Amino acid sequence: MLTELLQGTDAGGFLIIQDSASYSGRHLLKSFINAALNREEAVHVLGFEVSEEELKDGLKGSPVQRLHFHNAYTDPLGWTDQPSFTVHQFCLEELTRLVKQTSHPKPATLVIDSLSWILRHVSAPAVCKTLQQLRKGGAVRAIMGLLHVDMHQRGTVGSLCHLATSVITVAPGMKGDEAVAKITKRSKSGKVVQDEEIFSIKTDLTVVVQSKPSQLGHKQADPEEQETDPTANLTFNLRLSNTEREAKEKLALPFVFSKEKKTALLHSSPGSGRILYEPDANDDYDQEDPDDDLDV
Amino acid sequence: MAAPVSTVGKPSTERSPFNTTSFQKKTRTKLISIPGTRPSVQNGQLLVSTGVTSLDYLLGGGLAVGTVLLIEEDRYDSYSRMILKYFLAEGVVCRHELFVAAAQDNPDDILQELPAPILDDVAIHKPVEQPRLSCEPQDSLDAMKIAWRYQNLPKVQSALASSSRFGHYYDVSKTMEPEIRQAAKCHCFYLPEHPTHTMLESYSALLKSLQEVINREGFDVAAPMTKSRNILRIGLHSLGSALWGDDLSCHDNPRNGHALTTFLYGLRALLRSSLSVAVVTVPSHLIQDRALMGSITRLCDNAIALESFKGSERETNPLYKDYHGLLHVRQVPHLNCLASKLPDHKDLAFKLKRKQFTIEVSCQVAVHSFIFNRRDLLRKRSSRQQPHFIPEPINALEWQYDQ
Repeated sequence: MLTELLQGTDAGGFLIIQDSASYSGRHLLKSFINAALNREEAVHVLGFEVSEEELKDGLKGSPVQRLHFHNAYTDPLGWTDQPSFTVHQFCLEELTRLVKQTSHPKPATLVIDSLSWILRHVSAPAVCKTLQQLRKGGAVRAIMGLLHVDMHQRGTVGSLCHLATSVITVAPGMKGDEAVAKITKRSKSGKVVQDEEIFSIKTDLTVVVQSKPSQLGHKQADPEEQETDPTANLTFNLRLSNTEREAKEKLALPFVFSKEKKTALLHSSPGSGRILYEPDANDDYDQEDPDDDLDV
Repeated sequence: MAAPVSTVGKPSTERSPFNTTSFQKKTRTKLISIPGTRPSVQNGQLLVSTGVTSLDYLLGGGLAVGTVLLIEEDRYDSYSRMILKYFLAEGVVCRHELFVAAAQDNPDDILQELPAPILDDVAIHKPVEQPRLSCEPQDSLDAMKIAWRYQNLPKVQSALASSSRFGHYYDVSKTMEPEIRQAAKCHCFYLPEHPTHTMLESYSALLKSLQEVINREGFDVAAPMTKSRNILRIGLHSLGSALWGDDLSCHDNPRNGHALTTFLYGLRALLRSSLSVAVVTVPSHLIQDRALMGSITRLCDNAIALESFKGSERETNPLYKDYHGLLHVRQVPHLNCLASKLPDHKDLAFKLKRKQFTIEVSCQVAVHSFIFNRRDLLRKRSSRQQPHFIPEPINALEWQYDQ
């Protein structure tokens, strides 16, 4: 599923890459940027954590001209006189203006490196609101963000991921350059797909997905275990041999009716309860019933 | 003396879809009956259907008019959204008015996705899996050999349902026809269209909008009864999420906890004095402060929580393979009484099928907990080790009671 995500998100998609101190998600983010550039999309990067050179390291060739780096690394809080991009500019109007500055036919992809940095200075509900407005507005086609999970409270991470359409959680893998990615993708119809894959990133920023991780722990023997047959280990025999079964079928049951009588009884009409009365010798059956003139 | 039996030919009165008998009370009552409602058999409250008949049964026949139902969302907000859509669709079918408020998605989009009603009013019976031993040949289910008198009777369903046809059934795979939907009057509140100065004013804007609608359209109980009365169904999606402006779901110790609780208090006051009913969904899995979640639950009358198996390790657990998630009843209302009717069963699981959202007592969960609790008393004689819980038949010959 990682390759599908790399090939492109739908319009209005919001991808979050969750990483932690044990494995950095920035390489995967650069792979996504590379894939977007190769698709001839314009990419705007808000760089808070790393400098422009470090981010562009590894991205080669002409597509790099479509990458617009907004430098929020040198002066993010606006301490000098002419800051390039500050964290307080993270709102709908400023970002729309920024993206529209570079004229490009297709709507751009916005990459945020990283959301954690913004969350330290802007309140989480405001960040959520801005991201939701960006998604609904038409200026930006897709948003990708990097989030360091161990820097925030669970509620903050949960709120942001609640807004996202796809979430990739990366963790270090068994061998050296491998990593494990847990992917959750929500489609527009509300269907949720989850997957877990092992991947590694080559030097030219292409992602190689290996086979799924071997199931360890609680998943090991469950699918192969057959349902326990309750008649298996008893001290008495519950099974029938073929001759025994034939004899059983042939046995005439005491209250069995013929087929015609069964259907007659089954398909009798619902209101067919009738009272059949035959006057006894002791009954006084008077032909002239005084109740006859009642209109019942 | 037997009177000659002839069917007394009384002209059958016109059957309305909500009465199962043709008996009409002769007294002229002062109460105007509102379509889509019925009085409760327990305390005489006016009830409306939530759209899910199993949920109606759990809530004691239906949702009482003037109360709030709180639904704690599941992790990906799929089933809670489904129940909200059932609630709104039931409103459309019963010709009630709707009020939908959301911050994340446009309420018009929610209204476009309502499920289509199944308009023939017959309750659908699902066939029960016949338990069969592997040695017996399969008899065709149509021709029973021994119990043939019961052949044509409908098979028993283990889903919870009340006997009267109060709610309707919906087909999830189809959306409601636009003609049916547009026949119902809908009021929408989409938060980005109501910009406020501070972020905390979004709830008060919502409350003001609700009050205005109730007063204008005449849902107030105190309003003069000039025209026919109707019920207002209010659906509030994902209150308490970060998009409504408060930090309940973002921080472990939120500072804006009072915003949602004040809103719920005001909402309940508004509902008690009007002919309306509200369903509120809250993403409780994001709210870390348990005390706040408890006070939110107390401020609503009914509260249920949905826990979906998607993404958790319970998805592969063979016990739960028939179900989509668990349903917990957090609170039942005390309306004009001291004690309320508690649900009989605690282990409830739900399943979303195409034509029905069923809530069932998950018997396997009950058996599993029975075995798990008895494990310390029973000692198995055989050496077969079971690493996971599959309920085995307790065979008296193989188990010994440990003294």
